[in-house]
Amino acid sequence: MGWTSQDDLINQITNNGKTDTVVFQKTLPAAGTAGAWTDLGNATGVPVAATFGAADLTFTSTDNTWSEGTLYTGGDVDPATKHFLNAGISCVAAAGAPWFIMAVDHIGYVKLSTTNVTTTGTKTVTMTAIGSSGAKVDRYANGEGLRMYMSALGALGANAPTCIVNYLDTGGAAGATTTFTSTASATNGSIINTGAAANKYNPFLPLAAGDTGVSDIVSVVWAGTAHASGTVILHLVKPLWTGPVPATGLYSKMDFCNAIPSFRQIKDGANIMFIMFQTGATTSGGTVFVDFDYGYGG
Amino acid sequence: MGFINVAEYANADAAGQCWVTQFRKAVTSTATITSSYVDYSYFAGSPLANFYASTPLEAAYVDSTRGIYLPAVDQCLKNITVMTSAASATSTTNQRQKLMLCDYLMYYPFIDTDSTDQQDMIQTVTIPRYTSGYVMAIAQSASSTIGQFTFTYTNQDGVAGRTSPNIFTQIVAGGGQSVNANISANGFNPFLPLQAGDSSVRSIESVTFTAVGGGLMALVIVKPIQTFVVNAECRRTTSGNLESYGAAASVDSVIHRAAAPVIKSGAILGLLSKGMGGSLASSILVGYIETLWSV
Repeated sequence: MGWTSQDDLINQITNNGKTDTVVFQKTLPAAGTAGAWTDLGNATGVPVAATFGAADLTFTSTDNTWSEGTLYTGGDVDPATKHFLNAGISCVAAAGAPWFIMAVDHIGYVKLSTTNVTTTGTKTVTMTAIGSSGAKVDRYANGEGLRMYMSALGALGANAPTCIVNYLDTGGAAGATTTFTSTASATNGSIINTGAAANKYNPFLPLAAGDTGVSDIVSVVWAGTAHASGTVILHLVKPLWTGPVPATGLYSKMDFCNAIPSFRQIKDGANIMFIMFQTGATTSGGTVFVDFDYGYGG
Repeated sequence: MGFINVAEYANADAAGQCWVTQFRKAVTSTATITSSYVDYSYFAGSPLANFYASTPLEAAYVDSTRGIYLPAVDQCLKNITVMTSAASATSTTNQRQKLMLCDYLMYYPFIDTDSTDQQDMIQTVTIPRYTSGYVMAIAQSASSTIGQFTFTYTNQDGVAGRTSPNIFTQIVAGGGQSVNANISANGFNPFLPLQAGDSSVRSIESVTFTAVGGGLMALVIVKPIQTFVVNAECRRTTSGNLESYGAAASVDSVIHRAAAPVIKSGAILGLLSKGMGGSLASSILVGYIETLWSV
C-alpha cells in the first residue's frame, strides 16, 4: 500500500527515507517535426540511449532491469507501493515550443527492420501474452490500460505506407488499431503515427471499440508503398502523466499529492520513459530535462 | 459512465478506462476581430480542418475525422490543458483567450448572407446525442458588410416555428470566424439569441436576411462541455535581452469544477475561442484532453 494518511506520508519520507529524486536528461538527435511527437528513448543522455536491440518481430519486454538503460527509481518495494510526489519538466531549444512531455511506463517493444519495413504485407509478431502472473511484464494485468505507438529508430526512408497493428485485448479477443498513415523520411525518434496530416493519431493508436488495453501484439500490416529503408519500433506503454512546457528554458512543476486522482503509482518493475510533443520543429541538439520525486510507505 | 466517488474515478484509470488525446490547430494568416469568436475546428492541424463543406442548406454532421479523437464511449472529461503559440517572437495578440470545448452536433452550411429571400433549411439529419443545443454563426468566407437576419427554428421542447430576434452580423476577413454580433452591431457573443423563453435549438427551419451581409455562413448547433482561459502566449524574444514567455491553462474537472462533465460517445469535439488580446492570425493552439469512464 502507499500511505495511510498525510501524516504517514510525511513520516515515511522524512523519518524513514522512503523517497528520492530521479533525473532524466536527453539531447535530441535530430530535428523534430512540427505538430508531431518524439520518442526520447534513443536520444543520448540519462539514461543512456536505448538501441532497442532485439530480433525482428519478437516482443522484448522492458522493466527496471533493462540492460539498455532505465531510470533507477529505487527498485521494487512490494508489499509497499511507490508513487510520484511531483515532477518538473523543461526543454531548451531554439525552436519547437511550446511542448508537452508525457511520462510512460515502457512495457516492451517490437523492432521491424530491413524487409519488414521495406515490403508491405503482414508481419507476424512473436509474443507471449501479458497475463496476471505477477511477473514484471505483467505489471498491468492482462495489459489493462496499455497503449501503442510506433517510432523511427534512425532516419526512416521515403514513402508513407499505411499501417494497422493487430492485437489481442485484455480479454484475449482479437482487435485491430485504426489505420494510420506513416511518415515519410521521419527523423530518429519521430513517432510516425503522429502529426497534423490525415490518418494521424496523437500520440497513441486508437484501439477497437470497447477495448481498454493490449495483452498481445499479433502482427503489423503495411499497405501501399513501403518505406524505402529504415527501422521502426512499435512500443507498448502505460501512459502515466503529461505536462506542458510553454517556452524554452521555462520549468513546469506538477504536484501529484494534491491531484485527483492523486499519487500516480510507479509499479514495481516500471521502466519510466518519456515522449515529447512539439508545436514547431524542435531543433536538433535541443535538450529535455525531467526530474521527479517519488515516495513509498509500508 | 459517471462516477460516484474518487475511488471509482481512480480505478477507471487502473482498468484502462481512460484516454489521452492531443490536438494542434493553426489559425490562418487572416486577421480576426479582437474579442470576437473564432471556431478552431475550421483551421488546419490535428484534427483536420472542418470547412462545413457539404450540400448548401442541408443539415449535416461534422465528419468524425474533423473532431478531436476520443474512443467511442460515453466518458467524462478529466482534464484539458492548452497553450497558445504566438505568431512571432514579439506578437502578444493571442494572449487572453476564453476557450470553450464543444460537441459539434449538426450544421447548416452555405447560407447566403447576400440574399434577402427566405432560405429554407433541408432536414436531412436530426440532432444527435442531445435533444438540443446552442447555435453559432460561422463565416465560410469573408463578409463585406454588416447584415441583419432572423431565423426560425424548433426549440428545446420540440415546438416549431419559433423566431429569433433580429440579429446583426459583422464584417470578417475570412472563414472560421463568428459573424454573430447579437442584437446590436459590434457586439460579441458566441451563440445566437433566441425567442423569449427558449433555451436552445433542436433544428433550424429557415434564415431570412433583411440587410445583406456580403458573404456565406454556416449555422452550427453545438453543446458546450467546458470553458476555460489561456492567459499568456508562448514565445521567445530574439533580440535584446532574450526572454521566454508563456503559460499553460489546465482545468482538472474534479478539482476546479467539482465534477467531470460528460462527453457522449461519438462526440465531435472542437474549440471556440474569444481572442481578447487582438487578432489570432497565425497563432497556434495546442492541447491535450484526458478522459475517464466507469464500467
